Amino acid sequence: MKNRLRVLRAEREWSQADLAKRLEVSRQSVNAIETGKFDPSLPLAFRLARLFEMPIEEIFEDEDGMLLTTENTESREN
Amino acid sequence: MLSMFCVSNPAQRRYVSRMFWAGGLCIALSLGAVLGIRHGHVTGVPAYLLGVLPAAPIVLALLVTGAYLVEEKDEFQRNLYIQALLGGMALTLSLTTVWGNLEDLVRVPHLDLIWVYPLFWIFVVAAYPVVWLRYR
Repeated sequence: MKNRLRVLRAEREWSQADLAKRLEVSRQSVNAIETGKFDPSLPLAFRLARLFEMPIEEIFEDEDGMLLTTENTESREN
Repeated sequence: MLSMFCVSNPAQRRYVSRMFWAGGLCIALSLGAVLGIRHGHVTGVPAYLLGVLPAAPIVLALLVTGAYLVEEKDEFQRNLYIQALLGGMALTLSLTTVWGNLEDLVRVPHLDLIWVYPLFWIFVVAAYPVVWLRYR
């Protein structure tokens, strides 16, 4: 699953180790999530969302390659 | 490369410490059983009990591994270890099955069952770097 973690982290000038410390996971975990090789569980995704103060759907991209913004979700429902 | 084997959180530290204790206990009880049965000439029911005793730390080590998987809060690390354990199981089952067939059909040397457990852990340790590299 694609995500914007690298960008969000860079905006805050955090290293992978900084983010790992804030999430209480290993740096390898952050790297694996960032590169899309490991999909975090829902609780970890929520922790990321709280940390970056934004909805989960603005951090992660769904399987169709489309960011799940609120706008997109609403248009799909219609 | 060696960083993959580094202990990086309290759950892993507890796991390594517990496994060392279980390993030490296994060696001590195995030596005790060998000395008791082969050199102390223990026979009958006590010999059976002495023979089974070294299995207790083995069961303990498996319980310790289960406890680690429960205690590990880093889901990525847990996932790596589960995959390594599955790899170890697959390799052990495959090798012992193939070897069993070879024993039956072409008379290769007999593999004692006592080697199955150490083989499993050797394969787990061998599988871990392979799993780890997949996420590099």
